[in-house]
Amino acid sequence: MVREIKLALALAAIVAVLGLQSSTYAQDSAKQQAKTLETGTFHGKVHQTSGRATIYREENGKLVLRLTNFKTSNGPDVHVILIAAKDADDDANFLKSDTGRVELGKLKGNEGDQNYEIPADTDLAKFQTVSIYCERFNANFGAAPLQKF
Amino acid sequence: MIAGASSWLSRKKWILAGIGVPVLVAAWWAFRPEKLWINKQVSEPAPFASSSDSQPLYTGLLMGKAHPTSGRASIYQVGDGKRDLRLTDFTTSNGPDVHVLLAQSSDQNLTKEFVKGDLDGVELGLLKANQGDQNYDLPDSVDLGKYDAVVIYCERFHAVFGVAKLERF
Repeated sequence: MVREIKLALALAAIVAVLGLQSSTYAQDSAKQQAKTLETGTFHGKVHQTSGRATIYREENGKLVLRLTNFKTSNGPDVHVILIAAKDADDDANFLKSDTGRVELGKLKGNEGDQNYEIPADTDLAKFQTVSIYCERFNANFGAAPLQKF
Repeated sequence: MIAGASSWLSRKKWILAGIGVPVLVAAWWAFRPEKLWINKQVSEPAPFASSSDSQPLYTGLLMGKAHPTSGRASIYQVGDGKRDLRLTDFTTSNGPDVHVLLAQSSDQNLTKEFVKGDLDGVELGLLKANQGDQNYDLPDSVDLGKYDAVVIYCERFHAVFGVAKLERF
């Protein structure tokens, strides 16, 4: 009888340990998830631009801009930038020389999902709009004003 | 005489070509007109793929109608085919008998006072609180391609407190 109780206790202990381990593991994977900070949709009439722009903070603290369902017109020398404005007009020459901007790189493709790294010291409270920007003609293909997610 | 004229003509041709070709090349470089027809497609994966976590499907910002209303409405896939609506940073005015509905954003009822029976919509339940983050279960069969608006609706006064147009995340 005593032996059976001991056996049951030992089994219970093993189950408890296994249970604890699996829950620890689950916590880890939850911690690793990227956090969605801001999101917004593109508008652009001169050069039809549509899709969503979302800024994530990865588990390692890196900021990433991700474009999804994205579509714009192809063009020469097109860049992705963040601008220090609440929104941007569709007009050419929209970017005044004193408008603050953060360069995120050349547009990787005019269609499809794509990611861009954001410099770590970027102040997202200041740079509130993503612009698809044709540098050669100082033209805004499309802009996505970002809002807290 | 004739030979001289023709050599002058051919020299002019060369000068024209000498100017014209670089101009054309420069114009092509600047405008890249062929890009109007040629698309460049990419498909990068999300850098943090974690399919077990709930994924946002749709999201939109709440706009106040009869009462100031603000915040974000998002539809999440929460696994096993279940979806729910989550309101975040949410604020509306408190009121009696306030409901959360899904409706079609193009529905003219939303621009005025309406009786609930007139609306082609889906009831999600009583508003749990007029401030704060909150979740509502979606019935399995709801077609979010059709019902693309979240409505905060006061049934007693037939008033639309606020509407959020949902867009694909």
